[in-house]
Amino acid sequence: MKARTKKFLKKYWPHALGLLSLILLAMTIWVLSLDHQIRQQFEGRRWTLPAKVYAQPLELYAGQAISIDELQRALERLGYLRSAEVTRTGNFQRKGNRIDLVSRPFRFADENRDQKTISISFTGNQIEKMWDSGAKDVPVFRLDPLLIGSIYPTQGEDRIIVTPQETPALLPAALKTIEDRRFDTHIGIDPIGILRAIWVDLRSGSFDQGASTLTQQLVRSYFLTNRQTLSRKLTEAVMAILLEVHFDKKDLMNAYINEINLGQEGGRAIQGFGLASQFYFGKPLAELQLHEIALLVTEVRSPTYYNPRKQPERALARRNLILDLLAEFNVVTAKEAALAKSKPLGLVNATATHSTYYPAFLDFVRRTLRRDYQESDLTESGLVVFSTLDPLVQAKAESALVGELDRLDKNSKRKEVDLEGAVVVTAPTNGEVLAIVGGRNVSYSGFNRALDAKRSIGSLAKPIVYLTAVETGHYHAATIIDDAPVTLKLANGKDWAPQNYDKKINGRVPLVRALAQSLNLATVNLSQDVGLNQIATQFKALGLSDKPQAVPAMALGAVTVAPLEVAQVYNSIANGGFHTPLRAVRAVVDNQGNTLKAFPLEVTQVAEPVAMYQLQRMMVEVMRRGTGAAARTQLGDLVVGGKSGTSSDYRDSWFAGFSGSHSIVVWLGYDDNQPTRFSGSSGALPIWSKIMAGINTNSWDQPLPDGLHEAQIDFTTGLAVNSKCDKDGMTVVVPNGTDLPWRDGCKGNDTTLGGHTADWLRGIIGR
Amino acid sequence: MINTATTLARRLIGMSLIIVLNACTNIPAYKTSPAPAPEPASIVVHEPPPVLETQPIAPVIAVEPSIPLPAAATQNFTLSAATRSLVNQATSQRQNKNFVQAAATLERALRIEPKNPLLWLEYGALRMDERNFAQAESMGRKALASATGDVRTQASAWRLIADSYKARNQNSEAQQAYARASTLSTR
Repeated sequence: MKARTKKFLKKYWPHALGLLSLILLAMTIWVLSLDHQIRQQFEGRRWTLPAKVYAQPLELYAGQAISIDELQRALERLGYLRSAEVTRTGNFQRKGNRIDLVSRPFRFADENRDQKTISISFTGNQIEKMWDSGAKDVPVFRLDPLLIGSIYPTQGEDRIIVTPQETPALLPAALKTIEDRRFDTHIGIDPIGILRAIWVDLRSGSFDQGASTLTQQLVRSYFLTNRQTLSRKLTEAVMAILLEVHFDKKDLMNAYINEINLGQEGGRAIQGFGLASQFYFGKPLAELQLHEIALLVTEVRSPTYYNPRKQPERALARRNLILDLLAEFNVVTAKEAALAKSKPLGLVNATATHSTYYPAFLDFVRRTLRRDYQESDLTESGLVVFSTLDPLVQAKAESALVGELDRLDKNSKRKEVDLEGAVVVTAPTNGEVLAIVGGRNVSYSGFNRALDAKRSIGSLAKPIVYLTAVETGHYHAATIIDDAPVTLKLANGKDWAPQNYDKKINGRVPLVRALAQSLNLATVNLSQDVGLNQIATQFKALGLSDKPQAVPAMALGAVTVAPLEVAQVYNSIANGGFHTPLRAVRAVVDNQGNTLKAFPLEVTQVAEPVAMYQLQRMMVEVMRRGTGAAARTQLGDLVVGGKSGTSSDYRDSWFAGFSGSHSIVVWLGYDDNQPTRFSGSSGALPIWSKIMAGINTNSWDQPLPDGLHEAQIDFTTGLAVNSKCDKDGMTVVVPNGTDLPWRDGCKGNDTTLGGHTADWLRGIIGR
Repeated sequence: MINTATTLARRLIGMSLIIVLNACTNIPAYKTSPAPAPEPASIVVHEPPPVLETQPIAPVIAVEPSIPLPAAATQNFTLSAATRSLVNQATSQRQNKNFVQAAATLERALRIEPKNPLLWLEYGALRMDERNFAQAESMGRKALASATGDVRTQASAWRLIADSYKARNQNSEAQQAYARASTLSTR
């Protein structure tokens, strides 16, 4: 027996040895390759960092029109915590007419600003004074901006990296207590834990008891799927051990905190605690309190199962269980845990999160950046993008569009298809895009109508016709033109005979009325006199990317462009004839704080300011006596100017116009271009005026330029009147020295000095 | 309504005289409401003088015959504390050749007071330093369009426009612009 064994061994020993060495070699190669992988992952690329996009910051200064309540709301939106005393970053207190706050350190594109304690006092609805902790006057101060999103790659991982210094000490302690109590001592795997898990699994007959260390979880998140196979577990264990060989516990903990998945929003995976803190609480990780940290630790186990927005009770129960465990293991005191348990989940409210992600606006940002950057620069290299979005204006634009579309759809005959819409809001003087809504599903990043729905603009073209007319010097608001039938020969030999909206013919009307009531016949006649080519040229100069075809129907809006392009044209009108390219990005900064690209303000004069002033005043009359008059109930005393637009068969409903500080374009229609039954006034105008009324804006109040003066006319006929013969005369501006034809019985009964003086002057000059 | 050459000429002469009398009065804009938009704190607006009616069809205000014609130069744009501190910051950034940051700082100021022509002049001066003369001219024109009622600022705007022409060797345009500046300055 013994001899046979010996013989057997002798015979096969070399083979066994060879086999063993082969296995060893294979294992070594395998381990080395895992080692290579894990080190590369950890040291090399580590994380791809999507570009972070910020909204525009809120500027505070003495005299600014913001109430103490509004500032408090702004601070709360930024996740600032109201507390009894202001000692910590991100805290504020409110006492009487005063707010004290400790601002967050923030790296702006043009300034690296430290944390700062600042006091703000209010008088009425404006800031009275601001001072710092040394009682020194602070003339102007900007809050850190709201993080509105990131440009993440198609597979959708988004994260904000935090350093150990930016991590509250409680978080690693809590993670260890809940997930991996022997983290500080084990070698990457936890044999005691594994034995315990096997024991539990054997007793229950199932395989659901996890024993993964934080290191194993990290490995799994790096490389592996969640499939529970033996070989996967083996690979994971080896990699975990290898990681522990190469890196210390502090690095591994930091990697874990930045790596792990903690939520999902549509196609966007919320990776790491830095982003999760913003995603759930709207503030930096460093400022989280115990109950908030406990909720994030809750999400480690399963962000879907414990989704605090969809399963609040479930999440709350586990959060409180975690708080109990933290007290049990003396990470916090029982009192602290009890206090934390008494608090609600404290999520940033549902409507805010709904719109903290602005797909249509970010789409525009992305397209802007794509001109200068590779896709991978945007999704991987941690750029910081300072955008122009105004979150309050955006929120108002979204709610107005969605609310009105819901209302209009109820009156619609088409039940199977939803009416769609788009909004663009800009700041005229600098061309900054404050808000973009790309459709009624505001959180859906699909078809962006604001940028891509090329639609017929209808009567939105008319102001350009009237501007060009005034610029010739032959026309002003009181010039009488003919609203009479016209038939034109088109290039294709056919006749074109446009009609008025109401099919009526109004005869001789002043320019201001023709625009206010959007009279087609008068406009076509006028455009023929002014010259189609001039109008097309002016159109392009104001901001169309291509010069429109100089055909007769252009005057009535046979121009097909997206709302954003209309916004560019109307921004130039609102800006007094100065074209400034619409911008969604102010600057792009790398992750070291160096400005890579700035988009500075550019201004080009494209129309005579005096002519533009006359157009603006006529557009104000649109809102007072014309197709925009219905906005009055929403807008009260706010002075605005605008123009409605309706394309043929009501396929498109537009309204575009300005206040003293904003320009807004609204479009409504069906994606399949079917008729909507809504005109510009009945469809888009209510949305437009709701936005205008809901944002913090100023009246249009341009001073009367030199060379013009006010005159009174009869709106219907355009004949000059005065207060003695017509109490309802409308005030228009005309170039100085203009002789207006008088309405019968009005001339000569005027006796004021002003009139006499002017008559007298004119008398001297004239003869 | 097509103007004939003669009436046009007459109007031009009439207009220029009225402009002279009228140029610097702070004619209130189209006020339709008793509650005007909040004035930016910075713009020092003196009480507007009575408006000179230039049209025989005057509104109801019956003016006493003895009232003198309004005097010139009533509006004087100034900077608020906030925009002044930003302009100072921008100036030192400009001196350090930090043009990108200086522009960002001036844009902050312009967001606070978009209608203050002094800020557009500052921005124009920055563009001159950067040798972006076309934009410098544009900023001058923007300043001019916002400077209604402030002859001194109008003169500065024309000077900026003139400088930008000169830098581009457009000498005759520069001369004309300088002339307009000095006409305004002597008013």
